[in-house]
Amino acid sequence: MEITGADLIRAAALLGAGIAMGFGAIGPGVGEGYAAGRACEGVARSPENSGLLTRTMLVGQAVSESTGIYSLVIALLLIFVVK
Amino acid sequence: METAEVVRALAYLGGSIAMGFGAIGAGIGEGYAAHQACAGTARQPAVSSPIQRTMLIGQAMAESASIFALIVAMMLILVVDPSGSTFVQGVAFIGAGIAVGFGAIGGGIGCGFPAGSACQGVARRPEGQNQVTTMMLIAQGVSQGPSVLSFVIALLLMYRAYESSDLVTMAAVLGAGISVGVGAIGCGIGSGYAGGDACTGVGRWPASRGAVMRTMLVGQAVSQSTSIYALLIALLMIFVA
Repeated sequence: MEITGADLIRAAALLGAGIAMGFGAIGPGVGEGYAAGRACEGVARSPENSGLLTRTMLVGQAVSESTGIYSLVIALLLIFVVK
Repeated sequence: METAEVVRALAYLGGSIAMGFGAIGAGIGEGYAAHQACAGTARQPAVSSPIQRTMLIGQAMAESASIFALIVAMMLILVVDPSGSTFVQGVAFIGAGIAVGFGAIGGGIGCGFPAGSACQGVARRPEGQNQVTTMMLIAQGVSQGPSVLSFVIALLLMYRAYESSDLVTMAAVLGAGISVGVGAIGCGIGSGYAGGDACTGVGRWPASRGAVMRTMLVGQAVSQSTSIYALLIALLMIFVA
């Protein structure tokens, strides 16, 4: 099997995209779930505050998502942009 | 050394990765559920029978992602016929093993949290066991979502007909397996943690069931968004790259 330099670069980029998005999805998933858990318990304790609690949860989850978005951007760059 | 022999070797390796990593999550999650069931039974020995029933139902749900890994491992070891395959098919078997094996970690651990909280809830208020069990099943079902996606991608990797057998395609299938497999870990654990706290809440304050279910589903959906990104990257790599 002939392996050119360009082939090796493309192969490494694709493997890297998988690693970037794969491992990058771990942290936001755990963190956002932790936030949702505490929000659920708060809503159970006082359902009349569910709107406020849900808003707080979503804001916190959105910030936690930011590193996941970075991973997605890197993965898409590696698949489509890098030559 | 022929290509078919190498591909068969890679199929065995993929099957062992699938089952080796696939067994981690269910073991941890089901053990956690049993731990909470024991604590609840110690506190309320009279309610031991409903607690045990809730524990077994919850553990069965936590097992399901590992059953997917077992199915893929059996297929790779016993069923797959590598004669006439190209080398990239062998690398795809490794990718499939990684996808379903790692994908089962999050689902297993995540499903343990609602099961444990449900057992404690039944111990605390046995008359609410139906509501708590329902919430537990819904939470566990959502937590298993990313693991099911990993299983589907693993089957796709195993049975897709590959046109070319070059280094780029090999890296693409391996990267797709890593992306969807490892990407399902955090989302499963997080969704399960959310479900666990929701079951605790419903166990303690059953009147808030509707509001808790809405909050839990919204929170779990946001938590699983990164696993959707990982699935998107995997599909792009299989079909486009």
